[in-house]
Order: sequence, then structure tokens, then C-alpha cells
Amino acid sequence: MRQYSIKQYGLFLIAVIITGIFLFPIYWMITTSIKPTVDVFSTPPMIIPENIQFDAYIKNLIEDQSILMYLKNSLIIAVGTSLLTLILALPAAYAMARFKLKGSGVFLLILLVTQMVPGILMAMPLFIFFSNINLLNSYPAMIIGNTTLALPFAILIMRPFFLSIPRGLEEAAVIDGCNRFTAFIKVVLPLTKPTLLTVGTFSFLFSWGDLIFALTLTTDESIRPLTMGITKFIGQYGTEWDSLMAVSTIAAAPIILAFIFLQKYIVSGITSGSEK
Amino acid sequence: MEANAKVITKDNSESKRNLNLKNAPNPKKEKSSLIRNNASKYIFILPAFLFVLFFMLYPIFYNIVISFQDVSIANLRGEKPFVGLANYVEVFQSEKFLISLKNTTIYTVSSIVFQLGIGFLLALFFNQKFPLRNFFRSIMLLAWLTPLVITGNLFKWLYDVDYGVINYILVQIGILSEPINWLGQQSTALIAIIITNIWIGIPFNMILLLSALQALPTDVYEAAKIDGANKFQSFFKITVPLLRPAVLVILILGIIYTFKVFDIILIMTGGGPVNATQVLPFYGYELAFINFDFGLSGAVATIILVILLCISLIYLYMVRKEESM
Repeated sequence: MRQYSIKQYGLFLIAVIITGIFLFPIYWMITTSIKPTVDVFSTPPMIIPENIQFDAYIKNLIEDQSILMYLKNSLIIAVGTSLLTLILALPAAYAMARFKLKGSGVFLLILLVTQMVPGILMAMPLFIFFSNINLLNSYPAMIIGNTTLALPFAILIMRPFFLSIPRGLEEAAVIDGCNRFTAFIKVVLPLTKPTLLTVGTFSFLFSWGDLIFALTLTTDESIRPLTMGITKFIGQYGTEWDSLMAVSTIAAAPIILAFIFLQKYIVSGITSGSEK
Repeated sequence: MEANAKVITKDNSESKRNLNLKNAPNPKKEKSSLIRNNASKYIFILPAFLFVLFFMLYPIFYNIVISFQDVSIANLRGEKPFVGLANYVEVFQSEKFLISLKNTTIYTVSSIVFQLGIGFLLALFFNQKFPLRNFFRSIMLLAWLTPLVITGNLFKWLYDVDYGVINYILVQIGILSEPINWLGQQSTALIAIIITNIWIGIPFNMILLLSALQALPTDVYEAAKIDGANKFQSFFKITVPLLRPAVLVILILGIIYTFKVFDIILIMTGGGPVNATQVLPFYGYELAFINFDFGLSGAVATIILVILLCISLIYLYMVRKEESM
């Protein structure tokens, strides 16, 4: 154990206060969802909940089970997006880091620029395109839409990672009788776990939080993900904030869980995403 | 650039690969092993390339094509008449477009200034050593990671006229004499949206600035200390100039990500009241999916593209400049 000075414990205390104030909205979301309705609308606002109850959760998870359908859709779309992103990005990033490819620089530039394009610029043309091939209101349409958000980021993060893996590894594998593909699968792939987790987590989080494609590419409630579910609940509940905050907490739960378990990969994803 | 050069110089084991590929079952094997060798490299990148081409580049360019056509829900599948610049003329003449352009600018600039400023102060704070430092700075990312629909909804509750915490605190400390309807009146709606967006963006800026701070060489500070520089001097003479390239890149990224924002507008105000929070991406959405006038929406999309292109050219120029240093 490292020893800290009194000053450092002072800094710790300031950090607790800063973080506490900053994350108050999240605290407020969770506590509103577990207060009885009377306490939700108390004046002054009840900062520390006096009575805890889970009526809003019972109402929205057990009595009305429609949220489960939205959760299922969000899960299918987010997992599908992560998989498709990884399948496309992994070999591409590898090849761009390893081989001398014509046009590789241009492709990189295209990825940089497309990453910056607002979702709505993708959503409108994709809507027309999917409506012409009758693919609106389907999981594939949603997965493709969300992959357009995740793919540039994924390749831009993975390429530097492959650049950092020593080349000698595959050359040794080639001498041992692997070809380019088996060398990639047997030697390189097992080393990529951390970056796979970073990219997979981010693709999942991107599509879990997506609203634009959910709003524009689906009209059928049975396909719509949780973000659209929440907008439906907003219309339905009006100012029943306890129910709304319960639904929001349920929707945020996977983010909070992902954050707890994959913190390291999320932070590294953000920082490497800003490097060129 | 340096990285690319490394790849190029290291790519000299052609003969080894050729030997290997002779085992591959290919009928044209005898013709030219070099071509196939190259082709096999491109197979790795082909799926991603096709995806980008069909689902990203094509849609982006389709915005431009459609901006010169008259497209509504009726002729979505049929003939789309060419109308020249009519859509652009109509967009530029509409009052809503000018308001959105103005709001987008105000919104982007003020969000960035505060996100970057507060993020920088926090980064300086969290760059000091104290217990659980890593935990604190990463848990703040929850604000950035939470889906925008949830954040928007949550801030609507915080801004509530009668029971919102923000009004309560501001009245208690005497800034407001009575609760105000933040999202419901024209004068405050955009400010409320900007504050929400600042909250979302602070941790993102902080984490990036923090990693830039930690990449600074420590020996320079030691040398300055020996030369008798105090903390302020070394901050303004060393930290600030050394951080400049990183801050510029973060600034551009911030502008682009802020410019995009659509979700919190949709959830919190729907562009209202009376266009007070109308921004360009939301205007483009309304034209396409509320009015079903895809041609006009394409024109707005193309204008957004041009703006973003200018910003990203600046970005690329800065990255280049930084790399050459």
C-alpha cells in the first residue's frame, strides 16, 4: 500500500464533492424511480429518499411487460451491430496496418470524414434505400444503420493496435507453414482481445443509445428498440416522473454494468479514438 | 505518416508469401503469383470497403443528388424530376433555416467553450495524485455514456417548473426570484439545452485532456524548476504551449460531435418553443420525416456536409501540421 499525505486526502475529499455534484443527475434519476409518488413531488425536493419502494419497477416490468420487448430488440440490434462491426473492421484494420495497399490512405481519410457526418445525413438516404428494397422495419436495417456509426471508429482504433504488434510473429507463423489467413486467425487474433473488447463495447453502446435510426428506419413497435420505447413512455406517462425515471434507469442499467466491468477498455477507447 | 512508412519498408517478404500461396487452390495459379498475392491482401479489406461504399458513401452522395430533385413520399420509388437549385433557393429563403443556422452556431460555440474550459480545469485537478483517482475520473464518463434519450428526459425532469431541482436550488440561493419554465419559453430554452450538452461533454473533454497532460514530458518541468520557474510560470510557459496541438484536435472533434446533436433536441423541446431550439440536423429531419419533402432535406444535408467538410479540412491540416512537428 502506498502512503498518502494529508494534502492528498484533502484532494480526495474535493474529488468526492466534485464527482458527487457532477453525477447528481444520475443519482436523481435512480432515487426518483424508487420514491413513492407523494415524495417525488414534495417541496422542497427530497434529496435523500425517506421511503423506498419499487412500485414503478413492478408496474413497468411485471404488470406492463412491453419494456421487455424493447429490451430484447435493443439487445438483438446492439449485439448484431457489434458482431458486424467486428467482422468488417478486424480484417480491414489488420490489412491496413500490415500490407502495402493502394488507396489505403484515401480509405483512412474517408473513414475519418464519415465518422463526423451526423446520423440524420445517413438516415434519410438509408430510409429511401431500405424502403425501395422493402427492408424497413427489420433488424438487418437497424444493424446496418448502426454499423455505419460504429465502423469508422472501429477501424480507426484497431489499426494503430495492429501496428503495435510485432511483425515477426506472423513471419514466424508463415515459416511454420501458415498462409496469410491462417497466420491472421491463429497468431494475431488471440492477441487482439483487449481491442476487441474496446471496439465491441463501443459498438454496443453506440447502438444501444441510437435514436436516429430507430426513429427513421422503424415504424413497427415490435422491432423498435428501447430508445424509441422511452419516447413512447414519455408520451404515455406525461409527468409521472417516477415511472419515467424507472424506465430510464432500466435502459441505463446495461451502460452502467458495461461501465463497471469494462471501464478500462472504455477509457482506452475514448483516448485512442482521438489520436489519428 | 511515420507508421505508414514503417509498413512500407517492412513489406519486403514477398518471396516468402509467394512460396506459400502456391499451395492455395487457384486455377490461374501459374499465371502470375504476384497479382494473386496482392489480391489476397485486398480480400481482407474488401468487406469493409464494400460496406462503406454502399451504406455510407452512397447515402452521403445520395443527399447531394436528391437535393437537386423534387422528391416526396409519392414519387419515392418512381420518377424524380430534376429541379436545379430550386431546393436550395427555397431553403435559403426560409426563415427556419436561418434560425437553425444561428442556433447551431450559438449552441456549438458556447457548448465547446464551456466543455473545454471546465474539462481542462477538471483534467488539471485529476492529474494530481490522490487515492482512487482513476476511479473518480472514469466514473464521470457515465454522463457521456448515458444514451441521449435518457439524458434528455432526465434533464427535463431536473428543469421542471414546479418540482425541478434546478429551479429549487436557484431560488434557494437567490439567483431566481421565482421558478422559471426553462424549456417552455423562448428566451431560456436554448440555454437549457446548451447546459445539458455541456454536462454531457465535460467528461469526454476531461479524459482527452487528461491523457494529453499525462503524455507531457516530465523532465522539462524538472529543468524549469531547477532554473527557478514557479508553478504559474511553468504552467503558462510549458503546459499551455505543449498542450496546444492536442487541444486543437480535441476542439475540432468537439465541434463535430456537438454539431451532430439531434436526440436531446427531439426529446427536450422538439425544436420549439417557436423555433427557439431549432438546429440544422433537426431541421433536416423535420423536412424529411415530418413534411416528407426529401429534396429540401437533401439540400439541408448537403449544406451540413459542406460545413463539416470545411471543419474536417481544418482538422486534417492540423493533424498534418502536428505530425510534421
